[in-house]
Amino acid sequence: MATSNNIKKKKTKPAIISEDQITKKQSTLYAFISFAVVVVLWQLAVLFLPNFGNIFPGPYDVVALMIKIVKEPVGRLTLFAHLGWTLKRIFIGYIIGAVIGVITGLAMGTSKLANAIISPVFEILRPIPAIAWVPMAILWFGLGEASKYFIIGFSTFVICALNSIAGARATSEKLKGAARMLGASERQLFSKIILPSSVPQIFAGLQISLSASCSTILAAEMVRSEEGAGWLILRGMNTGNMTLVLVGLIVISVTGLILATVMRAIERKAISWSFRGK
Amino acid sequence: MGQDSIKLEVKNMTKKFGDLHVLDDITFNVKKGEFLCIVGPTGCGKTTFLNCLTHIYETTEGSILLDGEEVDLEKHNIAYILQEYSAYPWLTVQENIQFGLEIKGYPKDEIIKKAEATMKLVGLERFKDYYPNKLSTSMLQRVVIARTFATDPELLLMDEPYGQLDIELRFRLEDELIRIWQETDTTVIFITHNIEEAVYLAERILVLTNKPTTIKEEVLCDLPRPRDVTSPEFIKIRDKVTELIKWW
Amino acid sequence: MKLSKMKKKNNKVKYILISIISFTVFLIIWYMVTDVFKLVKPISLPSPVKVLESFINKFTVKRPDGSTLQAHVLSSLRIVLTGYIAGSIVGVPLGIFMAWNRKADMFIRPVFDWFRSVPGMGWIPVMILIFGINIASKAAIVFAISFVAILINSYSGIKNTNPVHMWVAQTFGASNKQLLFRVAIPSALPHIFTGLRQGLNQAWASVVAAEMIGSNRGLGYMIQMNRENSRADLIIVGMLSIGLVGTILSFVLQKFEDKYVRGRH
Repeated sequence: MATSNNIKKKKTKPAIISEDQITKKQSTLYAFISFAVVVVLWQLAVLFLPNFGNIFPGPYDVVALMIKIVKEPVGRLTLFAHLGWTLKRIFIGYIIGAVIGVITGLAMGTSKLANAIISPVFEILRPIPAIAWVPMAILWFGLGEASKYFIIGFSTFVICALNSIAGARATSEKLKGAARMLGASERQLFSKIILPSSVPQIFAGLQISLSASCSTILAAEMVRSEEGAGWLILRGMNTGNMTLVLVGLIVISVTGLILATVMRAIERKAISWSFRGK
Repeated sequence: MGQDSIKLEVKNMTKKFGDLHVLDDITFNVKKGEFLCIVGPTGCGKTTFLNCLTHIYETTEGSILLDGEEVDLEKHNIAYILQEYSAYPWLTVQENIQFGLEIKGYPKDEIIKKAEATMKLVGLERFKDYYPNKLSTSMLQRVVIARTFATDPELLLMDEPYGQLDIELRFRLEDELIRIWQETDTTVIFITHNIEEAVYLAERILVLTNKPTTIKEEVLCDLPRPRDVTSPEFIKIRDKVTELIKWW
Repeated sequence: MKLSKMKKKNNKVKYILISIISFTVFLIIWYMVTDVFKLVKPISLPSPVKVLESFINKFTVKRPDGSTLQAHVLSSLRIVLTGYIAGSIVGVPLGIFMAWNRKADMFIRPVFDWFRSVPGMGWIPVMILIFGINIASKAAIVFAISFVAILINSYSGIKNTNPVHMWVAQTFGASNKQLLFRVAIPSALPHIFTGLRQGLNQAWASVVAAEMIGSNRGLGYMIQMNRENSRADLIIVGMLSIGLVGTILSFVLQKFEDKYVRGRH
């Protein structure tokens, strides 16, 4: 009989089927380590590679500038005031776009008639990226805030509409059939079946379009402005100041992460029954 | 080799995931060509049990010997049928059935021959070019069974394969399984939480405890086939197993 | 049975007709407010007739932005395809590797998580400052933006492989290489294509953006220039072309997807 001590050399298994899963604590630790390594390498590259620092300033410079502009203004305003403007533009544009988008999407997803009426124009507008609306927005709304709301709003509108359409259409025929059998009117069918069952998909749209807004704000603030986190980045680009560009990017990225977290919390409250809510 | 030679020998199998003690010192043998059923309460680590038997999971302690050698999936011919429908959605019925043969490196003409024979065995010839998304649940489970038997496994592990099917279909597939098993002299380990199913299929039943799981008792089940679920002998064994499970 | 089928077909025809009517009404209203009642100035909204005229003329007329429409389209296409193909060639394998290899998963992914939270458009100033305003910087922008989307989806595609599918192949004695190429990658393919689609959409938008910021050709440049020239008709022509080319690109990708992703619902 073969002895059982012929221990196999352990094959390294692919991460996806490895049985000892990484715990949350471990993954935070690894995230921290790798983040620290990158920052250190970045700083070392700036210190020891000639020219690197000229093109790409190090983390020290970036953090120093960030702290500096919390107090000292860039352009007219300090960092948080810029951020405030950006947030205001995102919120107003986003809310307008989301309301119109969800309503349009639900209408198109629920009613074939609405879909037939709206879809020709919608299909023409949909593939046009928000940034391409900048010239037209300026012609229509001028150089003020309205055109910025329009650009954010358009990008939000498209994403929310598409997701709401998908949500409403995905409502299972079984559920609809069951409700009809119980004598539900078309209105009840919509408010009691279609709407609740599309909520997860609607929230997915709200989430994606919120993240997209943090990118679109750069396009919006290309329309003449003198304030905003996007403006900081553009100003950095126009004056050849990479440090300012990086500060702006970090500020927008962190803002985006915070907004996404808040949105997820709202979603979890709103649809605790859904799998997405977990 | 005699009818009673030992196929699988499990000695002191223990599995811990970190602090979680799942399997505790399990020891048992399976005879060649035997149909062994394993029943236990829900959540007693049945899937872990099978994954350890195949060394998909490393065992913390103990050894699992197949024909006297430590189990090695690349050498031994083991097959695994799971509760979830594990047909590959990106392969047609025929490609699914050929999958195991291709992994095992059979020559091309033999692959086609074997695949066709097994498709006939489970009645899937007409559907050979279908993708799984076009098939009903019972068809899907047949694809999986065909894929498994195509490789002539020496040891077949089944993890509640019929758990999600309706009763009538389950009876049909159970009879089909018994027929194929009798035709192929495969050794089968069949996990289920359905006691009636276990008594209907098994030659021997192992009853497991709650976590950390170990073997509580062994029940012989030597009724003649085809079995009658209403016969007093059948009911006696069923009640005995039920009684054993009730204890926790 | 036959009757309900016919009814369905009739319904379809009915809705297509409604769509055509709705679009015609849209054009008529547009025509009314511009050419007939002159409710808006042509500088903010030219009439549909004017837009169509400009569209046709733009194939031969270089004024006022220096190039014909097809020259703009080709210029934008060249940049987007260069950056996008490079982004896919690097992004797909790297995403798969990150998901497959434990060490890569533990250490590269967190860094990547930081990168992905950078808004897509944010790459434009960075690349312009590094490479200057030229084709290289635009291709680099497209590369970075499509790369991120493609990598994320390839990664999560592999990560979402059903373990049951892996176990089955493992019990058949599959090697790690077979597990990857015969199970994980085929099962991740729909996700990978999702990434390729997202990457393509974002890449196309980013070319337009980059051309608006600095260029002398391309559709983005065209709409930007015509705003300065107050030629709303040509802005609309440019926007429609951007939408149309984007749709065609997605369509081509969809054909690839239909060919390579099999057995999906």
